[in-house]
Amino acid sequence: MRRQAAPAAAGVFILAAVLLAGCAAPQVSSLVQQRPPGLAAKAEITAVPFFPQEDYQCGPASLAAALVHAGREATPESLLPQVFLPGRKGSLQAEMLATTRRHRLVAYPLAPRLEDLMREIAAGVPVVVLQNLALNWAPQWHYAVAIGYDLESRQIVLRSGVTRRATMSLDTFEHTWARSGHWAMLALPADRLPVTATETSFIAALAALERVAPAAAHAGYEHALQRWPGSAAAQIGLGNASYALRDLPGAAAAYLRATFDHPASADAWNNLAQALHELGKREEALVAARRAVDLGGLRLGTYRETLEGILRQP
Amino acid sequence: MTVLFRRVMAGFLIVCMGGLTVPLPALAGIVGTDTVVAGAERERLASVLDRSEVRVRLQALGVDPANARARVAALSDAEAAQLAAQMDELPAGGDLLGAAVLVFLVLLATDIMGYTKIFPFTRSAR
Repeated sequence: MRRQAAPAAAGVFILAAVLLAGCAAPQVSSLVQQRPPGLAAKAEITAVPFFPQEDYQCGPASLAAALVHAGREATPESLLPQVFLPGRKGSLQAEMLATTRRHRLVAYPLAPRLEDLMREIAAGVPVVVLQNLALNWAPQWHYAVAIGYDLESRQIVLRSGVTRRATMSLDTFEHTWARSGHWAMLALPADRLPVTATETSFIAALAALERVAPAAAHAGYEHALQRWPGSAAAQIGLGNASYALRDLPGAAAAYLRATFDHPASADAWNNLAQALHELGKREEALVAARRAVDLGGLRLGTYRETLEGILRQP
Repeated sequence: MTVLFRRVMAGFLIVCMGGLTVPLPALAGIVGTDTVVAGAERERLASVLDRSEVRVRLQALGVDPANARARVAALSDAEAAQLAAQMDELPAGGDLLGAAVLVFLVLLATDIMGYTKIFPFTRSAR
């Protein structure tokens, strides 16, 4: 009897130990094993405001914290009509981004990397995250704001729910975050580039901002062009934002620069043609419009319409 | 097929009845930045249909009409398309202390405490 009890007890002990220790998460493990160059071992942004959430309202509460930190006025109550969906008792990711843009801020979706999340925090930018606190087949979706981390103690610090400074094991966080597809976003004034920004994602974020807040997007394109001077999309975007603000000379100048740097960009030629046409410069407009049609491509139909529009008016 | 037909008819009626409440952002002759970035142009009618559908769904989920219109206007074309296609399936973050059954709370607790030994088990059980 006693001989059998010992291995059984050992088994229970080992099982309990394994259960309590949990299992390390992949991104955390690799970050802890070899900290990437330039990544601080720990950081925390203590100035991020906190709005304790009421029922189901972690979306508006988390977003309000990020917006206020970025210099905008917002409260969870003021955001309810913009982002809360009563019938779903929650907030959709797309509307978290859209509401940020309605506050004239760039809504930048982060790459699904814990390292990027940490780099943004270390640079002083709080990160709104979506977690599934439960399981894939029984989800418990929850927004929180990541404001700090410590790689040595393997912990993350969040503004979360009713807890101002919620600490969570980084491993557990990674698992809950992975179940949302590692979804995270920043809310930043357009003149401030995220430290982990990539050209494609940032210009796409500005393009989405442009339809709601063209003036803010205009400032964003100017800053993007300092970082990526040759970006065709940013050059055209700068022109489009000027055009939306009815600054036709500014728009034409931006498109012209795009055609210099990217003579094969039919979009740039087409938009230049339209801006010149509206400025009353018919001959130049015709040259640009014909160039766009000659280059062709997916949007040949649009280029032809532009050309015909110019030809119609003597 | 019928779904497509219904959507086209709905869009047609919306336009016909002067209820074209969604502003068309694209201006004459200008290729929009979102189009430049995406590389491909979303058909204008498809975008209008997506947006009117999202607006109707938002209202059905308790958003008042004026707010629904403003919310739709702030979406990008891609977001509008995504919401039109799967608004009911997409995660809606917010249900932190919601209507959780006991078993669920137990799972949540184990999840938060040591969780990782439980999660692979639930995954493999599927």
